[in-house]
Amino acid sequence: MRSAITLFVAYLLLILQSTVLELAPMHMVAPSLGLLVVLHVGLSSKWTISSAAVVAFATGYLFDLTSGAPQGVHAFVFVLMALFARALSTRLAVQGIVLSAATAFVASLLASALIVIVRAQVAPEGGYGGLRLAPLEALLTGIFAPVVLGLFRRIDGKVDSARSRVGLARGAHSFDPIPRR
Amino acid sequence: MGPGKRLREAAVVGGTLLLAIIALRMSAKNPGDMSALDRGILRLVVPAQSAMSFIARAITGVAGHYVELTHVRSENEALTQENQKLRAELTEMRRLAEESGRYQRLLGLRDVTPAETIAARVIAVDASPYFRVARVDIDHGEGAVRHGMPVLTPDGVVGRVNRVSGKSSDILLLVDPRSAIDVVIPRTGGRGILRGKAAENAYRCSVEYLARGEPAKVGDAVVTSGLGGTFPRNLAVGHITRVIPGAVGLYQDVEVTPDVDFARLSEVLVVVAPPPAPDTDPAARRLPARGPMVYR
Repeated sequence: MRSAITLFVAYLLLILQSTVLELAPMHMVAPSLGLLVVLHVGLSSKWTISSAAVVAFATGYLFDLTSGAPQGVHAFVFVLMALFARALSTRLAVQGIVLSAATAFVASLLASALIVIVRAQVAPEGGYGGLRLAPLEALLTGIFAPVVLGLFRRIDGKVDSARSRVGLARGAHSFDPIPRR
Repeated sequence: MGPGKRLREAAVVGGTLLLAIIALRMSAKNPGDMSALDRGILRLVVPAQSAMSFIARAITGVAGHYVELTHVRSENEALTQENQKLRAELTEMRRLAEESGRYQRLLGLRDVTPAETIAARVIAVDASPYFRVARVDIDHGEGAVRHGMPVLTPDGVVGRVNRVSGKSSDILLLVDPRSAIDVVIPRTGGRGILRGKAAENAYRCSVEYLARGEPAKVGDAVVTSGLGGTFPRNLAVGHITRVIPGAVGLYQDVEVTPDVDFARLSEVLVVVAPPPAPDTDPAARRLPARGPMVYR
């Protein structure tokens, strides 16, 4: 249920990302909304690492199809980013607007570097160049992060309250750091 | 968490990574191929993209009208409501005239292109800055468009068809680093391969393998050579905006700005029939008298 709703919202966000440039004054770069979905599932303790990886893969694959990128590029990078987010969540409680935005900014820069590396493997003619837009993309992603992550927190809350009514609720507040073992 | 569950979790994560790598390998091998699942997903995605694109354009149109009306009101407080209505109508008429002009230019291009073409509407552009791809919706029978077909606008070459799914197709823009088009500089006759420069701060390309013996200058037009059998000959591609000094070796290092404004792509033509065979006579490669063919 939680995965299905998250994937549906991810689908809507990816559609928005692929068409939002029609509205933007600058037509070169859009915020990486798909990455924010992955950050949410990776950072939240309500998601197991396996379900976070599956949602990250599905979101990445969907983004490959909506963006026209070679299939598998974003799917691969998004799964890695989900693992990165999970590793981060064991050390840092990503809460509040500033920390959410900063985490999304750093994650977006990292994802951009990974995408360029993977692209160079799939299409060597493109080389490793082309990271000049990464800071701007990261900045836009950081600006959108508090809103999108907040939206997903609300969705998780709604799912939890529905589950608790039938005695299936699990996990504490979203983005609680996962206890270090 | 027990060791069994931990193992299961690790297996699922490993499985997703493996699936992604398999998808990567398959798409690297056959870039234009799509599985039945991919086509199924795209059937869900394309109508939503099309609808969202329509809404986005409507919003920008309304916002533009609002700004214009506000401006008029501040300058002319004494205008009557009828005048405002007339101005709004005038704005709408201008928009329609501009749209009509665009279609006429497209039709004009269609008439003079030495190949069979079909029109398509752009529904999404550049969802990722690392892959310069536009998605178009083609109101034509399925199977009419195939991988590799050239795509044009009245301003010049847009790119070529990369993936086809039903009535929608992905166009690999000429500014994508995976794009390679055989081009010629009419002033010098110098030939090279036009390749996109990914994720630059603007839409840019470079010409590779342009021999030093034919020095290029800023402002030189770049057109398709017709060689390679994909693009018709002498279509406008762009202009040289930078000749990078200090390059060593046999070739020049030049940067090209495309003639097409990719940020404002709305309608394109897909060349569905092969162009006539190019004239490979070296003397005919020099085209100073004709210059680039720009369809306006």
